Amino acid sequence: MADQVLEGSQPVDLSKHPSGIVPTLQNIVSTVNLDCKLDLKAIALQARNAEYNPKRFAAVIMRIREPKTTALIFASGKMVCTGAKSEQQSKLAARKYARIIQKLGFPAKFKDFKIQNIVGSCDVKFPIRLEGLAYSHGAFSSYEPELFPGLIYRMKQPKIVLLIFVSGKIVLTGAKVRDETYTAFENIYPVLTEFRKNQQWYDF
Amino acid sequence: MCLTETLDEMVSNGILSPELAIQVLVQFDKSMTEALESQVKSKVTIKGHLHTYRFCDNVWTFILQDALFKSEDFQETVGRVKIVACDSKLLSQ
Repeated sequence: MADQVLEGSQPVDLSKHPSGIVPTLQNIVSTVNLDCKLDLKAIALQARNAEYNPKRFAAVIMRIREPKTTALIFASGKMVCTGAKSEQQSKLAARKYARIIQKLGFPAKFKDFKIQNIVGSCDVKFPIRLEGLAYSHGAFSSYEPELFPGLIYRMKQPKIVLLIFVSGKIVLTGAKVRDETYTAFENIYPVLTEFRKNQQWYDF
Repeated sequence: MCLTETLDEMVSNGILSPELAIQVLVQFDKSMTEALESQVKSKVTIKGHLHTYRFCDNVWTFILQDALFKSEDFQETVGRVKIVACDSKLLSQ
């Protein structure tokens, strides 16, 4: 939905995206070191929208609404921030969490912020013959429909994992920078067109 | 809240020992859970905007805004409501 709006509002740069499709970023995972020991129980008691159940998980789970994200905050001072839709939003969210921790009286820093994973997705809008694709790209593909309905494609360069579904929906994960996601999609797109499924079972 | 305030007052006036006050609170929780289980049959649903939540020491705290309380024969919206809840299994231990 959102990517269609984007496509309509600004033309796609065809030199960068020859397929004419730009994968939408769905999730960014980042880490940062607050560089001070934290009393998780004190944090859970004072901060809003926090969960702390040390029997189940050794971190405080905290959420903010803008940018809509979730943070895992560990006693060591390390923090993981998930759910943001862009690198900048992920960093902004991580800064907001660090600020909350500071306001609770901890000398939190903002050390070694790093994007750890970027997940993107898109829709090529035609069905794909996964079996044929798996057969001709055997070295990279794993397709076991009894275990999982998508084909798992482990691209070597860039090192990205793609989930390819019969419907033409694609998920790309494993990127540290968004260009890896884009390059991986442009690499796979000609292969997808090659294995486009012509006849459809649900033809009217 | 009223019960804890009264007990606090009685303890500070020396009418009640702190141990006994705690025991009264524990018994209140037990009896309330029992009564809610055995004597109350009506169900109420609460729906609203979750402003704040917290889970710490096995206690959930929710602050809802514009919450709609709905039961079989009445419904009412409340501007702001705080819900404190815990696992009833933990009470009986």
